[in-house]
Amino acid sequence: MLVAIETTLIYTFLLGSLYLLVSLGFSLICGVLRIFHLGYAYIFTATIYFTWMFMSLFHWGLVPSIAAMLVIQAGIAIAIYKGLIVRYIKQEEILILGLLFVAIILEQGALRFYPIQTGIYLETTVVPGLSKIGHVTVSNQLIFAAILGIVVTGLFVLFFLKTKLGLAVRAISYDIYSARLMGIQVERVFMFIMVLVLIPVILATLAIAPIWAVEPSMGWGYMIIAILVSVLGGLGNIKGTIIASYIIGFCHSVVGFVIAQPQFMGLSALIVVLIMLIVRPQGIAKSETVW
Amino acid sequence: MVEILKVTNVSKHFGGLTAVNGVSLSINEGETVGLMGPNGAGKTTLVNMICGSLSVDSGKVEFMGKDITRLPPWKRCKLGICRTYQIPRPFPELTTLASVVVSALYGKDRPNRSFEDAMTEATHYLEFVGLFSKRNVLARDLTLFEMRGLELARALATEPKLIFVDEVMAGLNPVEAEKAVRLIERAKDQFGVTVLWIEHVMAVLMKAAERVIVLHYGEKIAEGRPQEVANNPMVIESYLGKS
Amino acid sequence: MELEVKRDRLVFRVGGGKWEWGIEPRYWRNPLIYVGILIVVPVVVYFVYPPLLSTVIDANLLAAIAIPLALMTIGTGRMNFGPQFYIGIGGYAAALLSIHFGLNPGLTLLAAPLAGLLFGFIMSPLSIIAGGLYYSLLTLLFPLLFLEVTFIFSDLFKGDTGLSGIAPLVSVGSFRLNLLIYAFISLAIMLIYLFIVDKVLRSRYAVQMAAINDDEEVANSIGVNVNKVKVISFTVAAGMISVIGWFYAHYYGAFSGQTYLPLSFMLKVFMVTMIGGRMQIYGCIVGGYFIAFLEMILIRTTGDMSPVLFPVILLILLLVLPEGLFGLYRKRHYREYLPTLHVRR
Repeated sequence: MLVAIETTLIYTFLLGSLYLLVSLGFSLICGVLRIFHLGYAYIFTATIYFTWMFMSLFHWGLVPSIAAMLVIQAGIAIAIYKGLIVRYIKQEEILILGLLFVAIILEQGALRFYPIQTGIYLETTVVPGLSKIGHVTVSNQLIFAAILGIVVTGLFVLFFLKTKLGLAVRAISYDIYSARLMGIQVERVFMFIMVLVLIPVILATLAIAPIWAVEPSMGWGYMIIAILVSVLGGLGNIKGTIIASYIIGFCHSVVGFVIAQPQFMGLSALIVVLIMLIVRPQGIAKSETVW
Repeated sequence: MVEILKVTNVSKHFGGLTAVNGVSLSINEGETVGLMGPNGAGKTTLVNMICGSLSVDSGKVEFMGKDITRLPPWKRCKLGICRTYQIPRPFPELTTLASVVVSALYGKDRPNRSFEDAMTEATHYLEFVGLFSKRNVLARDLTLFEMRGLELARALATEPKLIFVDEVMAGLNPVEAEKAVRLIERAKDQFGVTVLWIEHVMAVLMKAAERVIVLHYGEKIAEGRPQEVANNPMVIESYLGKS
Repeated sequence: MELEVKRDRLVFRVGGGKWEWGIEPRYWRNPLIYVGILIVVPVVVYFVYPPLLSTVIDANLLAAIAIPLALMTIGTGRMNFGPQFYIGIGGYAAALLSIHFGLNPGLTLLAAPLAGLLFGFIMSPLSIIAGGLYYSLLTLLFPLLFLEVTFIFSDLFKGDTGLSGIAPLVSVGSFRLNLLIYAFISLAIMLIYLFIVDKVLRSRYAVQMAAINDDEEVANSIGVNVNKVKVISFTVAAGMISVIGWFYAHYYGAFSGQTYLPLSFMLKVFMVTMIGGRMQIYGCIVGGYFIAFLEMILIRTTGDMSPVLFPVILLILLLVLPEGLFGLYRKRHYREYLPTLHVRR
């Protein structure tokens, strides 16, 4: 019994914090740009495979490869923004399909050039080894990832509450027309957000790459989690996203580690979200704004 | 005189704000009743509750002796209640004819009526409001007066017993306003509907209504013949403020 | 049930209702020509280059998925981003019943749409409670979660590799002749769907749906039972789509969720509707043939690069032709869809 409680608490914390990293970006884009970035999954795949490409093709070290990957990702994000989002913000079906296509193209590209047998391994372990907390053994890297999640989220919250740019972002999420009237350059802020949300995802992917499976289609699983967390927490609201991440983390930890049926993790989270939608369709948060 | 609508002590709260507070009224068949009150008095909220768009927090609504407090709006329509909207809400992508056909088909359960029959009926209503020549025009391309006419035709096509007319005069110039009033009077004569008329313009209600109810801050403050109500000090105060 | 044949229309009376179908032969010319072409194509292909028949079958099936999807979209007023969920339902139902209970394709033809209708009915409340964007997200997720379920219960669903050994629908000895018969069956299904959905979209139900799409609250207040319309559209469309799953199962003799449930298949279906001019049902046929033949050409010319190039081309098409090919045609030859009343002199 004690073991069960310990397992639940520890994994809720670990998974919830990790899911924060994963979902923060998706939720932000929903709340500020007011679109569903259904191509979000590509960021996970691109992180791993572009880094690997620099390492295997040009034989660069890990750090320069990561730096190069960051540059490429920023470029892709801006290209997506200018090429798709700006042009089709009014025609949502085309926008969503276009974003999905981008994600599929990148996934298929990765699959074609680096099939699953290639055996990609990125040595991004920061804290190797295992720790024993109470009766539960967890990977140190996972703990590191969770702490990273909390730190990054904290930084984001500070950013939105304390800085001028953060204030601009919040203003846009409240009322975009008034924000424009106030002189906020909305398009520039949007571009900034598109690049900003890459950071938590890239950090999350790099952190858990050594311990969890890496394959071209990995992005979809994480995007599903991001979608569930965002829908549960109220699209675009950071407070709601935080609470929802831990709720989903709790759900996954109970189903995956206590009841020990990991195959049902995805399904159980979906059921929780569905129940929430029936009871309170707008999600946990009280408003559809960033904070 | 048959009482067709009886509203008993209905209230509606939105968070901390009480929009309607214990309002009771009754309407008899064939009457024209005016509903007045300054902006924010709760007139539209009350109408929404009677028609079913809003749920009633407390109180009872009875129509033709039947308790309709919990019925969904479409069922109330089939029983014979319909409304027009203050800001016209046409079906923008449908033509004028199609809009009226929808209510002709679905507003009342009548056997043996096909789509084509409903179209023929719809043309009668369009002709009544004078929109027959615009039957193939998209509803969003009409002028304000024509949209009001379309709203009326759409409501009449559901063969209602009671129709709520919500601020028909707003935005019309005097000529159109006169036409609108006469249109509603003709509707009463020709189709035998009972009208609850929400209006700001006193002059209209003076002529057209037999009875006027006045709301203020969600409560009924006066009821009676238009002359009496117009001279009621509380009513004057609610419109003009304390002097 | 009474049927009355008048000079220019058929009148059906059932119960208390009355339906009229106009008989206007001057409008039959174009559809008959196109149906004629569609019937002739498989025959020609059979004699010229039989392997292309599988592409023709794919085309018909893609169109047959897109047509009920259009009905569902118009009827519920929302975009369902996971129609392939019902292909999975229909396909697995047919596959499991055929393998484990030995039911022949005729019987599974009853079971598969029933499964589709059942699941459609269970999931239809989603179209009532969830607003546009939430609905799209959740419907996007359902097929992916269905795929996870197939991996969870992999002894039943056989996970990645899928179920095989399903009884074939047609088996007359010659492989080429089989293909031809499959082609005609797929064409028949598509044409039946086209007929049904076209009739619905020209009927009183379509005005109802149009009213709901324009303004739900007002439609509700003039007597339209909005929830009933949404539930019925969703359920019926789900049933129709699951029949295509049934066909896939018996046509290939194998069925794996991995082929149909992920997003790549969904994007194919959506491109069919987009090329067809955004939910225009006649356009879906054009879109279906276009996409099927495009995919075939790509696979033959670029081999293993095709999974990468195909979405690239589709993306370019999406951006360059937002109206779709059929939409361009429609802009030049405008037709009215809702009947308008012409005063007879």
